[in-house]
Amino acid sequence: MDTKWKNRKNVVSFMVFVLGVSLVLGNAIYFLQNWSDRLSPGQLGKMLEGEDYQSRGRFRGYISNRLEVFLDMATDSLRFGGYGYSYDGSYYGYGGYGTSDYDAMLNDILMNQVTEEATAVVGSEAIQEEVWPYWEDWNERWYWEYDTDWDTDGSDGNSKALTPEKRKELARKAAEQYHDLIKGDANLLYKVSYDGKELYTNSGELMVSADGILSAPEGYNFLLYYKDGKVRIWKDGQELDVYGDGYYRDGTTGNGSSDWYVPGYRNFQVDEKMKKAEICMAVAREPLLYTEGTYGRGGYLQKDNSLYWMQYNAVAERQNVIRCLGGLAAGLVLLLPAFLVRKGKRQADQGIARLQAKIWVECKVVLLFGILYALFYQFIHVYGSDLWLEFAYAYEYDYMSLLDSWYGGELLRRFPSGFWVLLFWTVYLVGNDIRYNKKPWKKSLAAKLYQTFSDRELKRPLSRRMVHRNALSFGVAVAYGVLLLFGAAWAFRNGHGSAWMVGLVIIMGMTAFLVVEYLIGTKNVEVARDVEALSDRIDDIRSGNYGTGADSDSEAEDGRDAGKDSSQAGQGAALYVGHDLETVMARLEDIRHGMAKAVDEQMKSERMKVELIANVSHDIKTPLTSIISYVEFLKEEENLPDHVKDYVAILDEKAQRLKNMVQDVFAVSKAASGELPVHMEELDFGKLLRQTLADMEEQIAGSRVSFRTELPDTPVMIRADGQRLYRVFQNLFQNALQYSLDGSRVHVTLQTDGKLAVASVKNTSSMEIEVGKDFTERFARGDASRTDGGSGLGMSIAQSFTEACGGQFCWETNADLFVVTVSFRILQLFS
Amino acid sequence: MKECVLVVDDDREIVKAISILLEGEGYEVLKAYDGLKALDILTTGRVQLVLIDVMMPKLDGLSALMRIRQKANIPVIVLSAKSEDTDKVLGLSMGADDYVSKPYNPAELAARVKSQLRRYTLLGDIHAGERAGEITNGRLTYHTDERILYADGEAVKLTATETKIVDLLMRNLGRIFPAEEIYRRVWEEEAFASENTVMVHIRRIREKLELNPKEPEYIKVVWGIGYKMEKQEKCR
Repeated sequence: MDTKWKNRKNVVSFMVFVLGVSLVLGNAIYFLQNWSDRLSPGQLGKMLEGEDYQSRGRFRGYISNRLEVFLDMATDSLRFGGYGYSYDGSYYGYGGYGTSDYDAMLNDILMNQVTEEATAVVGSEAIQEEVWPYWEDWNERWYWEYDTDWDTDGSDGNSKALTPEKRKELARKAAEQYHDLIKGDANLLYKVSYDGKELYTNSGELMVSADGILSAPEGYNFLLYYKDGKVRIWKDGQELDVYGDGYYRDGTTGNGSSDWYVPGYRNFQVDEKMKKAEICMAVAREPLLYTEGTYGRGGYLQKDNSLYWMQYNAVAERQNVIRCLGGLAAGLVLLLPAFLVRKGKRQADQGIARLQAKIWVECKVVLLFGILYALFYQFIHVYGSDLWLEFAYAYEYDYMSLLDSWYGGELLRRFPSGFWVLLFWTVYLVGNDIRYNKKPWKKSLAAKLYQTFSDRELKRPLSRRMVHRNALSFGVAVAYGVLLLFGAAWAFRNGHGSAWMVGLVIIMGMTAFLVVEYLIGTKNVEVARDVEALSDRIDDIRSGNYGTGADSDSEAEDGRDAGKDSSQAGQGAALYVGHDLETVMARLEDIRHGMAKAVDEQMKSERMKVELIANVSHDIKTPLTSIISYVEFLKEEENLPDHVKDYVAILDEKAQRLKNMVQDVFAVSKAASGELPVHMEELDFGKLLRQTLADMEEQIAGSRVSFRTELPDTPVMIRADGQRLYRVFQNLFQNALQYSLDGSRVHVTLQTDGKLAVASVKNTSSMEIEVGKDFTERFARGDASRTDGGSGLGMSIAQSFTEACGGQFCWETNADLFVVTVSFRILQLFS
Repeated sequence: MKECVLVVDDDREIVKAISILLEGEGYEVLKAYDGLKALDILTTGRVQLVLIDVMMPKLDGLSALMRIRQKANIPVIVLSAKSEDTDKVLGLSMGADDYVSKPYNPAELAARVKSQLRRYTLLGDIHAGERAGEITNGRLTYHTDERILYADGEAVKLTATETKIVDLLMRNLGRIFPAEEIYRRVWEEEAFASENTVMVHIRRIREKLELNPKEPEYIKVVWGIGYKMEKQEKCR
């Protein structure tokens, strides 16, 4: 229930936020679009108060225009005609003051009305439609007359100066037509007189008193009286100051334009002819809509209702401003609570993001482009290619900034404010998605396809996978080529117009091609890396490192930890999940694990063996101590019979041998398990052999064999443990002494080939050497009966000590010749 | 007055054998079969040397050694079936004066006991400081002026050549001399087949001053390099 309330709160706060932002944004844009020129507080206040339509610039313009037309009507100078050359051959655009162009004037009236109506907010369309037939009717009439005139002139395309009489006649005709047109509009009462003679009027109620004060019927509050080239204006019974300091100013040059564009300023006078005219005008306070039923022609005609619409618009505008500002205020008020509960809004954002995350990214992109296209459709539709042309010119002639401001303003005005609000929310949603959904492309159709594809791929063997990948790459390349070909062909057929289409296709095709190539490329790079890692791994295992590879150095030294690393190894394999070589890696890991386990087991059993031997030898030593001690006492007993002395001698000898054996067994088992401590140092191999021989000189001299040595005088430096190596050769020499044929020679040589120092001991066996016998096997000895003095471990010790020192121990037999070689790498001393 | 030796081992036969051996040498022997009993006997203050086994019930030899060292400065020889270098180093570092591994050589054992006792009873104060003209290394003392080598205070009888070699080695404790150099400096001739000659003399010297010539402690062969007088870490 709590969460439900919380959810509701989130939704509410989000809605408040949306509403607030929409209101503020929509109304602000609407306001800027319509009243960007009236942002000052004074202007705003005026708008809110409800401006009198008669105080607006538009109204003044209207009045000025009418006065001008009336003056023309009074002086018979109203003219037909458009742009170009007038009847008298002089060029004119919009005519100078007092020479109104009928055409322009008519346009003025109607456009004025149409403009007023078009800007009317409520119900404008219906009324606007009503205006058009009226407008067209007048146009028709006008053109017909114009054409007639043209024809009667008999001119062949060039206008020709008219006679003053003809011109006057035409002017009067125009004035009468104009009078007809506007007299039905009782919002404006007028009386046009010339030289004291009343020419045109639509009201008999306009009176001028003796002192030149105009009076009008009830309901008409704005009065204008023109006489003798001067204008007097009354509003609500008060006379206005029309001329100010008496000089006319245009808005663009000075500090504000003069209010009234009417003759009578010192710098704005009219000629004598104009001075003879007398114009009275009265404007209704509350204009009404005047229409004329023209049932025969279908419907009714509006009269000139500019004033009505002017007033109508003023009221409508006020309503709009109030509504707009009200909306703005409401939005701002809503934003305050939205800010206060922004946490809820954020959660709502996240909720929306979660929803968004479920949509495929492609859908989102299509949707976004759809929305943007729909929003900009109007713009594109209206400007079409002209817009691009315009931009192209702008680029070429470097008026981009000008264009920007122009189009910017245009853009702002052209699109309704609702468009901007929608655009804002579209951008907001996109931003929200990007903000909360990391890696939005993960949830996409392409990703899903890729995933399915690669899942299926992984089930295939590596070779098939690579073949497939290459095939895909090739296929994409071919497809792209075909696409290009078709595009080019199509472009040639259709000419230049579709070049951008081809370009688009090429770009899209190129993008797709590059994406696929990139994906395949990355996959191949990955495979290459994996293969490298794999081969490294194999190398590692080959060199006896069964660890995970990452910390191979530390583990190479400490093989017994290999077993504990299986979990780490698992992680190592996990790195390759989803890779092409996953299975291969996993199998290699299995092998590594198995080997690590086997090595570990072997080391363990070796260690146990050493421990066992250590314990046994200790247990043997204790009783052996007693035996040796008491045998010693027996030996010193003097009154023993001779045969007992013999027995004691045998006991002594065997006890000593047992002692040696125990020590040898211990040493050899330690060496075999790799736990023999070695103290490596640089030494002279030749000297070591000489020393050993010297050390054993007495033994050698007392034997029936002689030694022949062949040792170099120069030092042969090697790296080894001298003590251990001494034991090696001591054992070898002792073996040689023991098993050599009487009178034979033992050859001790040391040879070097620059890299290796090879010491060899050759002797001729006194007994026949058993073929295929392994002399380095523990407890192996020259005679199978085991009656001689050795422990049977001599060769075994020699071999294991040599290897512990980093040397190589070999032996071979050739008939009765027994050869042992011990080789070490020579140290390059003086190099 | 007879010197009194305490023999500690849980193997009664070994204790008895050592007793016979040492009594034959003229020592008074006290026996103990575990560490606690040994400590007990030591309180009498009569004991001048202890021979102690490592692996014993109640209180092992090394622990007993540590307790002895808290009170007395008498020589202690550790007797153990563990013959590894590391075991020896451990025993010596815990305060033992000597280490004899089982099975021991009776003559060697007797010699070691004698050596330790002599140094303890007769020469104890002499070794407090080194005098001028004397080079002391473990149980050896060399008088450079008289060119006489003393082992445990007794002059070692050496031939002229042997004395020259000892002189060279004692003056350069720890330095390794190749056979050629020894030959050149002692015989003052160019070295020829020097290895055998030098080795023979070395062996003879060893027999005169080493307690166990087969496992020399002082004059050592550095295999493949030369010969040296090992500098003794422990110098009582």
